[in-house]
Amino acid sequence: MAQTATPTTALPVSRPVSTVASKKRQEAITGLTFIAPALIILLVFMVVPLIAAGYFSLTNWDGIRPLTRGIISEENPNGAYEFVGLENYERLLIREGSRQEGFFTALKNTIYYVLGVVPVQTFLALTLAVIVNQRFLKAKGFFRTAFYFPSITSSVVISLIFMWLFTSNGLVNLALKAIFPDYQQVTWLNDPNGIIHNFLGLFGITRRSVGDWASLEIASIRLWDWISGPSVTMLMIMILNTWTTTGTLMVIYLAALQNIPSHVYEAAYVDGANAWQIFRKITVPLLRPTTFFVVTIGLIGTFQVFDQIFVISNGGPADTTLTIAYLVYASGFTDTRMGQAAATAVLLFIIIFTFTLIQRRFVSERADV
Amino acid sequence: MRKTLLVSLALAVLALAFGSLVVAQDQVTIRLWGHGSSPAEEAALNAQIAAFEEAYPDIDVELLISPEYDTQLQAAFASGDYPEVFYVGQDKVDEFADAGVLAPAEDNVEDVDDIYPALVETFTYNGTFYCPAKDFSNLTLEYNIDMFDEAGVDYPTADWTWDDLRAASEQITEATGTPAFVVELNIDRWFAFYVQAGGTFYDEDGNFVFASEGENADAAVEAMEFFVGLFEDGLAVTPQDVGAGWAGEAFGQGAAAMTMEGNWIIQFLLDSYPDLNWASAELPAGPGGEGTLTFSECYGVAADNAHPEESWQLVNFLTNREGAMRVAEGGFGVMPARASSADAWLEARGEEYEPFVASSAYAVAPVLPPGFQEFRDTLTNGLVSAVEGNSTVEDAIEDAREVVEELLEE
Amino acid sequence: MTTAALPVHEQPPFWRIVRRILPIVSMTVLIIFALLQILPFVFTVANSFKCLPAIAAEPQAFIPVPPFGVSCVSPEGRVLPADATTGTVTFNPSTEGYQEVFAANLGRWAFNTAVYSVVIMLLRLAFDSLAGYALARLKFPGNRLIFFVILGTLMIPSVVLLIPRFIILRQLGWLNTYQGVIITLAADAFGIFLMKQFFESIPDEIEEAAQVDGANRFVMFFRIVLPMATPALTALAIFSFQGQWNNFMDALIIVGGNPSLYNLPLGLATLRGASGETLRWHQFLAGSVITTLPLAIIFFIFQRYFVEGVTYSGLKG
Repeated sequence: MAQTATPTTALPVSRPVSTVASKKRQEAITGLTFIAPALIILLVFMVVPLIAAGYFSLTNWDGIRPLTRGIISEENPNGAYEFVGLENYERLLIREGSRQEGFFTALKNTIYYVLGVVPVQTFLALTLAVIVNQRFLKAKGFFRTAFYFPSITSSVVISLIFMWLFTSNGLVNLALKAIFPDYQQVTWLNDPNGIIHNFLGLFGITRRSVGDWASLEIASIRLWDWISGPSVTMLMIMILNTWTTTGTLMVIYLAALQNIPSHVYEAAYVDGANAWQIFRKITVPLLRPTTFFVVTIGLIGTFQVFDQIFVISNGGPADTTLTIAYLVYASGFTDTRMGQAAATAVLLFIIIFTFTLIQRRFVSERADV
Repeated sequence: MRKTLLVSLALAVLALAFGSLVVAQDQVTIRLWGHGSSPAEEAALNAQIAAFEEAYPDIDVELLISPEYDTQLQAAFASGDYPEVFYVGQDKVDEFADAGVLAPAEDNVEDVDDIYPALVETFTYNGTFYCPAKDFSNLTLEYNIDMFDEAGVDYPTADWTWDDLRAASEQITEATGTPAFVVELNIDRWFAFYVQAGGTFYDEDGNFVFASEGENADAAVEAMEFFVGLFEDGLAVTPQDVGAGWAGEAFGQGAAAMTMEGNWIIQFLLDSYPDLNWASAELPAGPGGEGTLTFSECYGVAADNAHPEESWQLVNFLTNREGAMRVAEGGFGVMPARASSADAWLEARGEEYEPFVASSAYAVAPVLPPGFQEFRDTLTNGLVSAVEGNSTVEDAIEDAREVVEELLEE
Repeated sequence: MTTAALPVHEQPPFWRIVRRILPIVSMTVLIIFALLQILPFVFTVANSFKCLPAIAAEPQAFIPVPPFGVSCVSPEGRVLPADATTGTVTFNPSTEGYQEVFAANLGRWAFNTAVYSVVIMLLRLAFDSLAGYALARLKFPGNRLIFFVILGTLMIPSVVLLIPRFIILRQLGWLNTYQGVIITLAADAFGIFLMKQFFESIPDEIEEAAQVDGANRFVMFFRIVLPMATPALTALAIFSFQGQWNNFMDALIIVGGNPSLYNLPLGLATLRGASGETLRWHQFLAGSVITTLPLAIIFFIFQRYFVEGVTYSGLKG
């Protein structure tokens, strides 16, 4: 589990028993002092708003009515909101209708997105970090900067530039057409077809040919649509996101690679291990805390993908890039249903938390080997 | 113990945050919030404000051009401390009025009769008029003169009908080999056809009656069959299909001979495609007669407001006959909201833009009830799937009508 | 660390050839990959020096040719069409986009951005590393709970926190103030988490040795632990600086009401037209270059601190 302060005493030191208790107290005081400034800031500006969001998720607040007007009651008919209990959650999860359909569509899209992006960006980041950390590599500074470059530019700017590259007459299509004369133009950023559907279509498997089970609705969404895979447009946004975050994650791996003391490698060389064995048996295991960090941050970040969708697709075409984080924004600010938005956000919180716990167990179990 | 400490700390801050505190203000400063527009328009607004401050020396106007207007305004509303005067888009007015953050106009607005009736109606909610429009735009048909000449097709006129539009599209498409008409595939364009087919949004009692039984349902089906038919037969494309960000850009690039956009396209084409040879005409009439859509914004006055009188003085200064004349003489893309200054706008902007003004006679604003975003999304998705052949026109309209029923039940 | 695994003479000839070619191949792949990463920015820079019609007509043109500094508007005030200023791959550069940006309140925005970014970065380096160290190494009541609370704050979409945070700041009287921005953002969960994971991955022999020497935790942290953390602190500094340099939403909520406190992203956004109207691309791209360039330079300077094979003195051997 947590590698927190497991006192694997490397040096056999005998401490006087009487001071152990006072040492513990001292350590506790030090710990709380160290963490206090950061904790207070996060409590006031993150945790309290978070509690407020949880509170709003139980109301029908529209996000416009001034909160200073208080709760609606008989004496206060002009209040800002009333309690609706778990109705917002019920509408999202259980009651059939457009809200449920919206939420599960967003959930489906988000899961495809996360499962596609996280492994790829983690793998790429580790590979790039190891490469630019090699001693033999010339012009390291150039490559580090180059690989980090897409991360520097703000997501709004990079999204607009990406849009311009991938429009149907954009440079990407022009280049493809030049290379493959038969190339059928793809409208990358406006194509709602799922890639799994497209793939199945190659073998003549379509919704009509698979039979009636595909029309079965689970949570307002047809089984056939659950297995659509990300749409072509979503795939583009996944590529964009991988391209921009890989640089950031590479920098984290780079910092971590410095921590591996060189004597560890030297010992391995003496034992006659080759480069691949060293990477596999020494570098990767020693980077495990970093990998836990990178995967966790990756999960959290991808589950909350918003900026790129806000700029590029606004959830379209045909809701195939509607993600949960975008749904939160759309219901809170466009549809003015802040209570609903808060409930959606809380559900997303629970989903991310669960995923993080699962992967934490997964990574640390292997770490204990 | 430490847990209780944490919890009580959190509660204390929460109480502090959501307890009501009234901040008193002594000096008369009117905050005016808006979003960015063209540099020339912004300069003109600043000049107007300077003139106002000169005429009313005891009022200071603090103009804020917000970088992300809707979000910032909504946060201000929620906190209870929001600007005295602010821009209100036509799609927001019902929500704001319903939430009680807009002060009714009552008789604070000068010469309401002079404002175009459609614009008065747009900013009326439940029978109450809230705010005077600052300016507006109408959809017209823009056409590429050179491409019409090449195909040997007569230019569009005010008398055009759907048949003329379709016939011209067919001829041009055949002559050039590319679709003649570029238009966004969404309800802010399609509604124009719905109106031309005789469809309405509200009945006399103010109930939302989109595609309800009878005439409206027929109009919806008819309008969608015509609109979708243009796409199905290869006569129309979306701007995305031809690699443009929006229809104005596609039209500017010469990707199609016609498009339908509002006044905002004028300055865009002049700036980005200065050598394009184009003109505009009123939209064609449908089986239900003439129809177009209008898009507008008003100056709203805050309901929770320490200085209502000064706020209305500012709003009137900006929107009364003289204010409208100043907008007109500036000659921006958008038109002043008063009929009395239409000629002045044409003179400043150019007589060739007369169709934009002429459309005002029958323009309607496609304003939906509060919280109807889902309806917009459903109908737009329905349009897309109808064009792609994934659903029928009737199903698309039926889906949208079901969402309307669900939303109205709330 | 060294790269040659086995002495060359022990390898079969085929592997010897592979070993020769491999660096060349991988270098080529690396260069292509690097170009892919930079190319969009090359187009951004090139187009930021064009007139609006030229961006629309020939966006792919990236070779500037004389005459330089062309005007996009004719003496009569008419916008010039694209073909007057651009060809297929070449274009006559214009600085009108930059002039428009500089005509706005650019100096003030840049100053504010620098203040926010630098002060927040310094505070985060201190607070995040202290907190990260405490979570990684010190035993105190609520350690695990606090870690999960901090991690949890990352997991909720920030759009839903905007309004509550706005109201808290209003009650504190910190709306539209420098301290509103700086204190609100002076610590972040991401940074704490980063530092915690880092401290967990460094060997604890050194600290234990120091502890035996009787150094107290504060002294030890600043004298011994922090200097070892240079790579992680560098990464944190880069992320923090860059995040604040590009920060839009937090700045909007906190100082959105006072244009003289805007940072660059907010300021440049006010120059954008209303929706439905045109994005003034030349101006937008010029603004993007102005905001991105300092970051690129700073990163290039800082990345030197990622030196391979750092060894902990005293541990070697």
